[in-house]
Amino acid sequence: MILRAVEDTDLIRKARRGDVEAFNLLISRWEKRVYNYLLRIVGDREGALDLSQDVFLKAYQNLRKLDDPARFAPWLFRIAHNEAFSSFRKRRPEREAPGQPEYTGDERAAIGPAFPIELSIAVTTALAKLPEEQREAVILKIYQGFKFEEMAEVLGCPVSTVKSRLYTALDVLKSQLAPLKTRGVT
Amino acid sequence: MSCSPFDLRDYLFGELGEAERRQVDQHVRSCGGCHEEMERLRVTQSVLLALPEEEVPQRIGFVSDPVFEPSVARRLWRAFWGSAPRLGFASAAMLSAALVIFAFFRPAVTAPMTASAPDTAKIEQQVSERVAAVQKAVAESEARQEKKTGALLAAAEERFQKQRASDIKSFGAAFSYLEKKYSVLEHASYETAGPQ
Repeated sequence: MILRAVEDTDLIRKARRGDVEAFNLLISRWEKRVYNYLLRIVGDREGALDLSQDVFLKAYQNLRKLDDPARFAPWLFRIAHNEAFSSFRKRRPEREAPGQPEYTGDERAAIGPAFPIELSIAVTTALAKLPEEQREAVILKIYQGFKFEEMAEVLGCPVSTVKSRLYTALDVLKSQLAPLKTRGVT
Repeated sequence: MSCSPFDLRDYLFGELGEAERRQVDQHVRSCGGCHEEMERLRVTQSVLLALPEEEVPQRIGFVSDPVFEPSVARRLWRAFWGSAPRLGFASAAMLSAALVIFAFFRPAVTAPMTASAPDTAKIEQQVSERVAAVQKAVAESEARQEKKTGALLAAAEERFQKQRASDIKSFGAAFSYLEKKYSVLEHASYETAGPQ
């Protein structure tokens, strides 16, 4: 008997045949990453959870359209990206500052409660000040670890655009966050 | 600005190849400015990464409800028609089977000839029967026509004989009258003239 880990591609194949439990296992592997990605984009736990559920529902409904199961991650985050920005468009008229998550003081304190609070607030605030597109590029690269080509797939734009957004954001973040470390906030 | 041969940010994010990474490593060791810039980038990255991920407040999952699930037959049907290679193979197999069956059960080439012989005889028999029927009908018609003609001729003959007999009779009466009248006239003239 040969033992091997169940790959995502195995679960995708089973889910395509209607195996809901296989898809639930797939969800359990990816829900945390998708939820945190959406949370850092929309800045709202309830909204991020609702969007996460929508993302996995759409993924299940469209799983047959996934050409290459090995490209599941960018494909899934592409759905998440579309859902998040669709949500932004719906909410935009009600927002005070379009393009930026509405972090309240309580939420800032709540995100990352196990981390030194001042640095946590500084990071959250610095991310929130970035334009949506730049913030998303930072989240996909720093927190999700995608390669530039995968990011281009998720965002639906050329690699050069992805790099431009990321590096512009990085310059801003560097100027705001690097001094914190040198001041010994941590 | 960095004077590194490759972008330090690409280095930081692991987007450079091994040879390029080695070049950047060597450059950063020897260049104070690039060394400092690399440190700032690393610090920024570590500060960002220090923000922890949150747990999902509520597990996401779907419930398999048999009521909404397609039946096994329907799933198989969908799976069959959803697979182009499988469908192509099945079509080719069916075509092959049809060719084999046709090759085995095709009637022999001579069969149509032998099969057509009874048909010809039958047709000939039918034709001869119909010809006989037509001939019989014609004969009957001719007989009827002949009989009718005979009857008409007999009636005409009878009428002719009656007319002839009537004519002879009237001619005889007329002759007898003229003969009597001539005798009367001859007697009268004799009496007038006296004996010679």
